Amino acid sequence: MSTATLEKPAAAKPKVILAEGNEAAALGVALARPDMVAVYPITPQSSLVEHVAKLIADGKMDADIVDAEGEHSVLSVLQGAALAGGRTYTATCGPGLAFMFEPYFRTSGMRLPMVMTIVTRDGITPQSVWGGHQDAMTVREVGWIQIYCESVQEVLDTTIMAFKIAEHHDVMLPVNVCLDGNYLSYGASRVELPPQAEVDAFMGDKDVNWHVALDPSRPMAVDPLTGGSGGKGPSTFVRYRKGQCKGMQNALAVIEEVHEEWAQRFGRRFAPLVEEYRLDDADYAIMTLGSMSGAAKDAVDAARDAGRKVGLIKLKTFSPFPVVALQKALAKVKALGVVDRSVGFRWNCGPMYQETMGALYRLGRFIPSMSFIGGLAGADITEAHFQRVIAETEALLTNPAPTEPVWLNEKD
Amino acid sequence: MSAYATIAFDAAKCDGCGKCMSACSIQKVGADDTARSRIQIGGSADAGFELALCRQCGDPRCVAVCPAGALSKDGASGVIGWDATKCVDCLLCTVGCAYAGIALDAEAGHVAKCDMCAGAPACVPACPTGALRHVTTARIYNEVGHWEDLFAPGLAGCQGCNTELLMRHTLRRAGPDTVLATPPGCVPGMGSVGFNGTTGTKVPVFHPLLTNTAAMLAGIKRQYERKGREVLAMAIAGDGGASDVGFQSLSGAAERNERIFFMVVDNEGYMNTGMQRSSCTPYGAWTSTTPVGVGKGPAGMPSQGKTQDAKNLPLIMVNHRCEYVATASTAYMEDLYDKLDKAIAASKRGFAYLHVYSPCTTGWRFPTDQNMEVARKAVETNFVTLWEYTPQEGLSFTRRIDQPLPVTEYLKAMGRFRHLSNDQISHIQSKVVENLAFVKQLAQVAKV
Repeated sequence: MSTATLEKPAAAKPKVILAEGNEAAALGVALARPDMVAVYPITPQSSLVEHVAKLIADGKMDADIVDAEGEHSVLSVLQGAALAGGRTYTATCGPGLAFMFEPYFRTSGMRLPMVMTIVTRDGITPQSVWGGHQDAMTVREVGWIQIYCESVQEVLDTTIMAFKIAEHHDVMLPVNVCLDGNYLSYGASRVELPPQAEVDAFMGDKDVNWHVALDPSRPMAVDPLTGGSGGKGPSTFVRYRKGQCKGMQNALAVIEEVHEEWAQRFGRRFAPLVEEYRLDDADYAIMTLGSMSGAAKDAVDAARDAGRKVGLIKLKTFSPFPVVALQKALAKVKALGVVDRSVGFRWNCGPMYQETMGALYRLGRFIPSMSFIGGLAGADITEAHFQRVIAETEALLTNPAPTEPVWLNEKD
Repeated sequence: MSAYATIAFDAAKCDGCGKCMSACSIQKVGADDTARSRIQIGGSADAGFELALCRQCGDPRCVAVCPAGALSKDGASGVIGWDATKCVDCLLCTVGCAYAGIALDAEAGHVAKCDMCAGAPACVPACPTGALRHVTTARIYNEVGHWEDLFAPGLAGCQGCNTELLMRHTLRRAGPDTVLATPPGCVPGMGSVGFNGTTGTKVPVFHPLLTNTAAMLAGIKRQYERKGREVLAMAIAGDGGASDVGFQSLSGAAERNERIFFMVVDNEGYMNTGMQRSSCTPYGAWTSTTPVGVGKGPAGMPSQGKTQDAKNLPLIMVNHRCEYVATASTAYMEDLYDKLDKAIAASKRGFAYLHVYSPCTTGWRFPTDQNMEVARKAVETNFVTLWEYTPQEGLSFTRRIDQPLPVTEYLKAMGRFRHLSNDQISHIQSKVVENLAFVKQLAQVAKV
């Protein structure tokens, strides 16, 4: 179920099509007019890059495409293009993301405003080709902005917004648009296509390498050896890292601004950081991320109908972690159940649960909470699973919290 | 001070036949009269032959001592000319010259000296043994001396570093409209990209990862093509990154025929990190990860240096059918510059690859003044072969060694091969023969 609410009609009548998430992402990319796209296929991302290649081949998208020999080179080609002033895009997932980790880490350090879709996929081993957030979660601490989508429409809209967020001069960081493998990648739904002219006006002028460039007309050394214990080394290195953190924090406000502008122009409003659903008078809340939120909202509606005072908190922006917005939501409830689609091996809980505990600690308020892990490797998290999540979270109001996570698909 | 073309003499090849003197006298005085030749061969077969000939010195003493201004050095050709109308026959010049390069021609009644026969000295083609060569290498230095060195002075290379020499020449040739990639290794290690806000390069320069040089350059080049700007996207990469961990991106970019120029500086190992083995390290070589000891090495073999043969990266690149592939050596600068020209031109059409053998004084363990000698010996023994390839012309040698020295002449020049057994040396010599035969076969195929 989409959270989009119609604000006002766009100037020109939008074209309405039926599209899968991967196609919607490709269409969003085309509307954002990147200069260069580099691709390497991997399940469940493949149809996305196939759509992009076809759009270019059909003359519907004016971009150079590089069929690189692996994800490592995919990201490297784009880094080169970005340093030469190009707007750049790619998509990957799972093992592909793992393989590109070396240049991936570097993209944020060089402050290259790239957009990369992660069509999320679980980690191997066990060998698996199905959805799960393990890939994106594993790289959550590498300086990329990570935004998760709930619906196919949100995939298209967020893909375009991601370029604007990344290229904002206060941000200058790469963005991952995370869309759930299987459930969003192949899930078809009604999608409104914003008119190109409107998107062009929204995007404004491209200016991606004003801060760092490889250009003979303004020669500079990019990424000299920096740091060490002598001279200006330590302070220079700190300036780079602190700048990255500043960019991440700036992104919180920019993500909100860009979503607001999107709502004004196109009439679709998505919660930019944290969505609160039926939370204001709730006693307790469940927390979700990505496409599972639709089934979760249905379960919350059903529980509400049964008179239970449950609400829902959905994160859209996972990195930077929206601490203040999340605290505002957490302050409204007395118990919390967090559902992750991936595993945090170190803490024996879901990664989003672990991060949320950090935000809660800073809030200076204790509420009982528990971690649920579900939907791994393509497993479905159904309304029935969420009924269980709601029941066990409600039990926290009276019973002691379990220390072990609940594995939702353990007995499926 | 510029250097100029000259006549080089190899005493070891001279048999004292005197044909050079005959040719000179016929050319200059119209008679076969060796006494009047301006080139003189002295000595004997037992004591060795010696040359008396004007060296066309850069700072000529003969000119300095001439009281009449009759001798002068021509700025364009470098030849020291003699003006009969000014000469006062004092013969001071003959005393001033240490090479007996100017002498009295008694029959003519005045001094005479070599004038290089207007650029085509008659003596050289007359020499049947190859002892005389008209050396034109210096032309390169005259030409490039005026081009800007696009690296800053004071790069922190090891003393006697061959790679620094190579880098400076290469970037001079490439010019300012270049984006230069220097992946981790000796090239950035000596400060080309820089340290904490400083840089050693005057063109846009960057550290790619060790693994993604070719891919990043491809992205840069394509974006400039999209903008309609001509920019040379060039790498000066080490052999380790290119042949080992970065090989995938190199191969991928070559297969896509990306329009970039990829130069590998092959010092046969990871020298910047402390001289570890790469797949370009030759068999038998000591490195810090193929050390020499009494224990067992890989597969139970004695620990006596590397136990595998080197990967032949340039031939692998030939099999990508790149627009241009060549090998080069700093001991043959004219050949190197020729190949730089061709590689840069080819990179406008497709992938250009140049593999330059670069002896490492630190890692190969030889004295810092021996770099050119080691580089030359590598070629003279056929340990390294110099050739070039294009898809249209195929492969051809650019410097054929007709009478190669035994490989021991190369091996003994450095410490990394000091421990070799006779069996190991035999193995290396047999591989030299085998590799040469393989490249010759490719060159033959190209002719068919």
